[in-house]
Amino acid sequence: MIVTVTLNPAIDEEYVVPEFRPGGWFRVSRVQRSPGGKGINVSLILKQLGVETAAMGFLAGFSGEYVRDVLRKAQITTNFLHVRGETRTNVYIVDEVGKVETGLAELGPYISEDEIARFLSNYERILKRTELVVLGGSLPPGVPQDFYCELIRLAKQREIPTLIDAAGAPLLAALDEGPTYAKVDQRFMATYEGVALNSLDNLIEAVQRVHSHGVEWVIASYRTYGNVFCTHEGVFLAEFDRKGIVSMFGSGEALIAGLILGGQERMETKDRIVFGMAAALENALHVEKGIRDRAAVERQIPRIRFERLL
Amino acid sequence: MRICEVMDRDLTALSAETTLSEAIEILTRHRVSGLPVVDGAGRVVGFVSEKDIVKAALPGYFDYLQDPSFIPDYGQFQKRLKKIGKDPVSKIMAKEIVSFSEEDSDFYVAITLIRNHLKRAPVVRDGILVGVVNRADLLERIMLEEESPSFA
Repeated sequence: MIVTVTLNPAIDEEYVVPEFRPGGWFRVSRVQRSPGGKGINVSLILKQLGVETAAMGFLAGFSGEYVRDVLRKAQITTNFLHVRGETRTNVYIVDEVGKVETGLAELGPYISEDEIARFLSNYERILKRTELVVLGGSLPPGVPQDFYCELIRLAKQREIPTLIDAAGAPLLAALDEGPTYAKVDQRFMATYEGVALNSLDNLIEAVQRVHSHGVEWVIASYRTYGNVFCTHEGVFLAEFDRKGIVSMFGSGEALIAGLILGGQERMETKDRIVFGMAAALENALHVEKGIRDRAAVERQIPRIRFERLL
Repeated sequence: MRICEVMDRDLTALSAETTLSEAIEILTRHRVSGLPVVDGAGRVVGFVSEKDIVKAALPGYFDYLQDPSFIPDYGQFQKRLKKIGKDPVSKIMAKEIVSFSEEDSDFYVAITLIRNHLKRAPVVRDGILVGVVNRADLLERIMLEEESPSFA
């Protein structure tokens, strides 16, 4: 079984407000509500691709109930720890006229030491029948910054591969522990080990450095519609053009889901990267998060430009 | 229909060492009336419901009372509940449990739940917990099925 860990899930609320500006009072022309958090998104997209996962992490209050309910209706296995407080809501205000997106992110509920201990005992129990652990997103208040290290260490002890998609201090700490896959979001990380991630050459240098720390697959976003991949077979760039793109929201998770499916089906590295990128593109073609189905992803494969950099 | 289509694939469970006060907290926080008890590998070894906890905290003579209305307050109950709060759930959990497999039919599950006066029961695969089945969810499903056009 694949386990996804979302320590700080959210409800993503997307409000469409034409000509939005601060200080005004607006009627919302459309609102879209969906459960969020990287691990949960990966679980939902993998389900659309026909891959079973178990989602775990912390949930709280009414928002937590909502997230659980959506996962339950999607028939995804859950093992969340319900805590005091309220699962956060992330608000996105999309102005289709001015093409501006405004975002507001909450911190999330406070997690006590007891709750962390209880989570760890659930995690260790589920690891006994896990083939891959996907760790993603920010950490809620109370959870130590190096918590991903501990989760990676526990998985490694059982020789279970791990994938991390995070940013900032939690990601840097996790990289030291050597996860199998790491996705670095360059938008939230301007430098790595003193290298500014502002050019392709610098980005290649940074992913190679991460790779040399024992991370088998390093994925770093490059410009808006591309990713650089560093594997033991070489460094690759895959991109698509912006034609028809509505929202990149959730595309990072679609890429991860595609790569996981490709791994399960033992695709060649190139095919795996292209399939993952096609999933990311399919996700971006509509406002709704997630992909339509596998056939829709496969239709996007011809649009992916793939090249070997090194 | 197979029960895997109606079941709740939630793995929330207690361990045999969980204390009763912690179990009460988890039951309330998760808003459920009972939870499976599993070992380190996720194998179901028991089931604890709020009914079991109430029963354990009630004074021994309670069963013999014809009418408990003369009891002035829940003072004694509270005292006993706090006293057993540190006990592990293994002390009061039901060890002979009714469980189902994902392939069981919804009708078989419904009948078994009714016969055993159960609200919730674990669903297992090779003894490992894979979810729970709720009486209320089954009722809802049966209600909807009657309205489905295939019955017309």
